[in-house]
Amino acid sequence: MSNLQAPRAGAKEPSGLRYPTNGKTIYHRPLNRAKAAELSGASFAYLFSEMVSYASKKIESIQDLEKRLNVQGHPIGLKLLDLLLYREPARSQTRPLNIITLLHFIKNNVWQHLFGQAADGLEKSSDPSKPDEYMIIDNEPLVNRYISVPRDMSQLNCAAYVAGIIEGVCDGSAFPARVTAHSVGKQEEGEMWPGRTVFLVKFAPEVMERENFLGKG
Amino acid sequence: MKVFGEIRHEQVKIGGESGKAYSSLRSTDLFSAAAIMGILALIVINKAGGLIYNRTFGDGLNQLGTNDYLVLAGTFHGVHAITTRLSPIKPQQQVGADGIPGRPDPPSGLEVLETENFWLQCFNTLTGTKFLLFTDTLQTNVDIAMRKVYDLYADYVTKNPFYQLENPIRCDTFDRKLNSYIRETNNAR
Amino acid sequence: MPVQVYSLYIFDRHTECIYSKQWVQPATPASSTLPSTVTDQHRQTNGTELAATAAEQLPPKPRRNKGADDAKLIFGTVFSLRNMVRKLGGDDDAFISFRTAQYKLHYYETPTNLRFALLTEPGALSMRNVLHQIYINLWVEYVVKNPLSPVEHKGGEGVRNEMFELGLDKFIRGLM
Repeated sequence: MSNLQAPRAGAKEPSGLRYPTNGKTIYHRPLNRAKAAELSGASFAYLFSEMVSYASKKIESIQDLEKRLNVQGHPIGLKLLDLLLYREPARSQTRPLNIITLLHFIKNNVWQHLFGQAADGLEKSSDPSKPDEYMIIDNEPLVNRYISVPRDMSQLNCAAYVAGIIEGVCDGSAFPARVTAHSVGKQEEGEMWPGRTVFLVKFAPEVMERENFLGKG
Repeated sequence: MKVFGEIRHEQVKIGGESGKAYSSLRSTDLFSAAAIMGILALIVINKAGGLIYNRTFGDGLNQLGTNDYLVLAGTFHGVHAITTRLSPIKPQQQVGADGIPGRPDPPSGLEVLETENFWLQCFNTLTGTKFLLFTDTLQTNVDIAMRKVYDLYADYVTKNPFYQLENPIRCDTFDRKLNSYIRETNNAR
Repeated sequence: MPVQVYSLYIFDRHTECIYSKQWVQPATPASSTLPSTVTDQHRQTNGTELAATAAEQLPPKPRRNKGADDAKLIFGTVFSLRNMVRKLGGDDDAFISFRTAQYKLHYYETPTNLRFALLTEPGALSMRNVLHQIYINLWVEYVVKNPLSPVEHKGGEGVRNEMFELGLDKFIRGLM
């Protein structure tokens, strides 16, 4: 990390596109220069709709489809981790070192960057036999906004794509985990959040082992 | 027994009075009696004349069987096609800024149907899908409601990866949003 | 408020068009811009039997076919819509009018199953009373009460009398 910061501090370096004088590189700005740097929600909705249709071709089970969506999101998570850490101020430019920091980073930074708001909740599994499970809660996932899942596929949640992104971020920070998306919203009339989704993060045993060791130290 | 008889007598009297009040309200105050209705039903017809969505919101219209609704959609589709052909005047030639005559607007076909009991507004999209909104005769701003319904369709039906175009619309999110919008408009009156 | 009236059609209880009149030039350019196959097909189907009934109604040849065609289409439309409205709104419901961006069609039905269809500009207000007036002041007076007029008006017989036509023309021009 320290050698990364050297060019910024060094006044001898020539300023240019790579290292401008103010220290803000091209990676610190969104590509879109417009004031409100926003993307069209409709374009994304159509794109995502096609991604889901593509992923539903020749599937054998709902788990298959969710797996494919998960795989589509995974590389995004890996790359996003790099970008978002790079954009952090120099002193906090380290990758998360324990589970809680990592999950907070996802809940705040990743969610803010992707969806324009922090996630709605972060919980630890109340079941003492599953200390490796954590839950990130989104009341209305952006990707599911226009999606109505047919009755015969009721256990499907297309936010598996977002689960893949989370998984990518976890893997990238050396916290291997399995992340799955589950619908918990009630379908009754007048329900406030019918699309409420829980992202269940289940960390690998070695992560828990390391966490326990570090916690003792 | 005597007490019982008295009570029963009282009940009859109350019933009679409230019945009278109701009928007077019906005859004199038509406006408030109609205010519980507003938008009565929505029907969506695909470009081949097939019924793809059908929902009633009030009890101002007769309830028909599924088959009758299918026939109705087909009939309306045919009638709509005929009404585009019936224009008794020739279309106006529009001359552009460069003096070259533009293409006249295509004939629109049936847009509003008026009867003694209800109004029917028809919106035909550029791709030939028809939205029929049935309202009572006092409903205003049907254009706005129609626009909103089309918005909801464009969002929650066409952006849904599980919806196949031209097929019956079975989207829970669309149903939910539509219901809450219709309830809101009907209550606002 | 002046109203632009385009045309009037009267249908008897046998669903035959017994009277039609245009107050504007019919849209001949529009029909000639239709694909040629469509017009040709129409000529073929309507060929002989229609030409005979419509012969005395409208003089020039291409317009004659279109006029008879339009009358059939209009009857089909109002008949379908009337049935649809009754199905949805109940048997006491009556279809009053429909509007497109180009014209508005007003419908009036008498207890004897005589049907009037009046085409006006799209912005016109309800013409129900106008049609009612035509029925009671012109139809009943000059057609029903005319001793020379038959009970059934096959092929428009008995409707096209001078009093009715003049009265109707005067009444409609008064609106415009």
